[in-house]
Amino acid sequence: MMETNVVSETTSAPVDVNVIMEKAACAAAVFSQLDQAHTDRIVRAVYEAGFNNRILLAKHAVEETGVGNWRDKVLKNVVATQLVYDDIKDVKTVGIISEDKELGITEIAQPLGPIFAVIPVTNPTSTVMFKILIALKTRNPIIIHPHSRAIQCSQEAARICYNAALAEDAPEDCIQWLDKTSRDETHALMQHPKLALILATGGGSLVNAAYSSGTPALGVGAGNVPVFIERSADIPFAVEQILISKTFDNGTVCASEQALVVERPLAERVIEEFKKRNARVLSEDEVRRLEKVAYDAERMIMTMAVVGKTAPEIAKMAGIDVPPETTLLIAPLDGIGRAHPLSAEILAPILAFYVAEDFEHAVNLCIDLNYFGGIGHTVSLFSNDEKKIKTFASVMNAGRVVVNMPSSQGAVGGIYNTLHPSFTLGCGTGGKNITTDNITTKHLLNIQRISRRRVNRRLESFDKARYLDESLDAKAIEKEFNRNF
Amino acid sequence: MISYIAGTENLICRFEDRMDTVQCLASEKEIFGKIQSVGTPIVFDLEKVAYIASSFLRICIRACKEVGAERFSLIHVCPEIKKVFKIASLDRQINIQ
Repeated sequence: MMETNVVSETTSAPVDVNVIMEKAACAAAVFSQLDQAHTDRIVRAVYEAGFNNRILLAKHAVEETGVGNWRDKVLKNVVATQLVYDDIKDVKTVGIISEDKELGITEIAQPLGPIFAVIPVTNPTSTVMFKILIALKTRNPIIIHPHSRAIQCSQEAARICYNAALAEDAPEDCIQWLDKTSRDETHALMQHPKLALILATGGGSLVNAAYSSGTPALGVGAGNVPVFIERSADIPFAVEQILISKTFDNGTVCASEQALVVERPLAERVIEEFKKRNARVLSEDEVRRLEKVAYDAERMIMTMAVVGKTAPEIAKMAGIDVPPETTLLIAPLDGIGRAHPLSAEILAPILAFYVAEDFEHAVNLCIDLNYFGGIGHTVSLFSNDEKKIKTFASVMNAGRVVVNMPSSQGAVGGIYNTLHPSFTLGCGTGGKNITTDNITTKHLLNIQRISRRRVNRRLESFDKARYLDESLDAKAIEKEFNRNF
Repeated sequence: MISYIAGTENLICRFEDRMDTVQCLASEKEIFGKIQSVGTPIVFDLEKVAYIASSFLRICIRACKEVGAERFSLIHVCPEIKKVFKIASLDRQINIQ
């Protein structure tokens, strides 16, 4: 059955789509019978197989896509397998998951059905393994849609997981993966009546297609993460953490810092700390040159040419002379928006830099950055002032406000905090998402509630005829309703 | 375990316990040998079946195709197994009594 799991690009869309969905429906059907122990054995086997192939898959991803570096991709694969597994392994996902006798509510977890998983080029193996683990843990079959530039490595990751799952008697076709698909084929799959959910992580057009398909979708909005080093912050620590994050996998994480904001008294020291760590502060002319290679002004989006490249590689493209050990390109800017392309999201070791006059000015700059393409995603703050942390958080529109940690790794969860480790970060309604959560198993379940009779005593003892008396307003009714209670 | 009751009107194949991948692979040849040796309608009796794997669904689909939908049926299907056929939308192709 394994060979038939790949959908060829040469076959016609209607036939393939139906075959894929029929297989997925059969897998969902068989999955519905599995108990928790069997499900957990499958998940354990898949985790181990993915983890054991973390290096092979990381190298494969970088070789195929040219994006990022394999050592960091190994860590991504570790998060997607070891940390995700550790986070979900004890979660009840089958049958009765809770019972409250007092309230008379019993919750039963049911699978959703086939899931269509859109995979981004930036995390082509880790996202595959992550989505497979949470899908299988919830007894949902999954269909992997690789990015067109990462087909081989995403398929390899899926194949490894599938073989491991089958060895534990998982339903056949519980994992399927696509080859290069046309737009029509992708849309036909997304709109298929047998599809239960789309897990869309990737470019805006595919995420939008998922939302407009009519199938329920959990998508990810774009990020444009501001990081603010506030006066009470430990500056060398903050700079170190930002570098850890911004250079991780050459800046490919959508939660990585895009623009740094500091108050004027701190600016010089912050820059010195960056320079100590081989960051290069660009001149105005160099910023202009970098804009041309890093941002497609017509499409109003970062160019693929710079995504996941190193700072020296990008500098070379822009004709900027930097030493080979350069870690980061810092672009001092005086504005935010389309007239300042580097204030947009660019998944590369490029960091916009803003100097604010005071705390309020800094927060306002962060709001502008947050609302310039990154609504609902993530914002970052370095501070030791609890009041300012809360003030900052309360005015941002972000699912994650990460404090005193690298934003990339912080938002993904499980390394620097207790957020659920995830490669699909909900961005709330601002990002056109239904949740701000880090997506995990609980989002892939239908929860049934057995509701036992527990009569509302106040309503039972209340004279319902009183509702018919127009002279009684809400306050009067409430008073009587709650009497002696 | 599978037992067969061949009558003049039909061949009843009685399955037991878990029809998992291993059991299905071990039995598939025998089942179709029996089916092909009789010309009567085929009935799969699932009264004692607690679990079916993907392979068993495939056996049902193949049997249905070989003898024709109108000459193939499942009987004594418990709710858990009925749900499997429902989710897979196979209840539209296969006669479940």
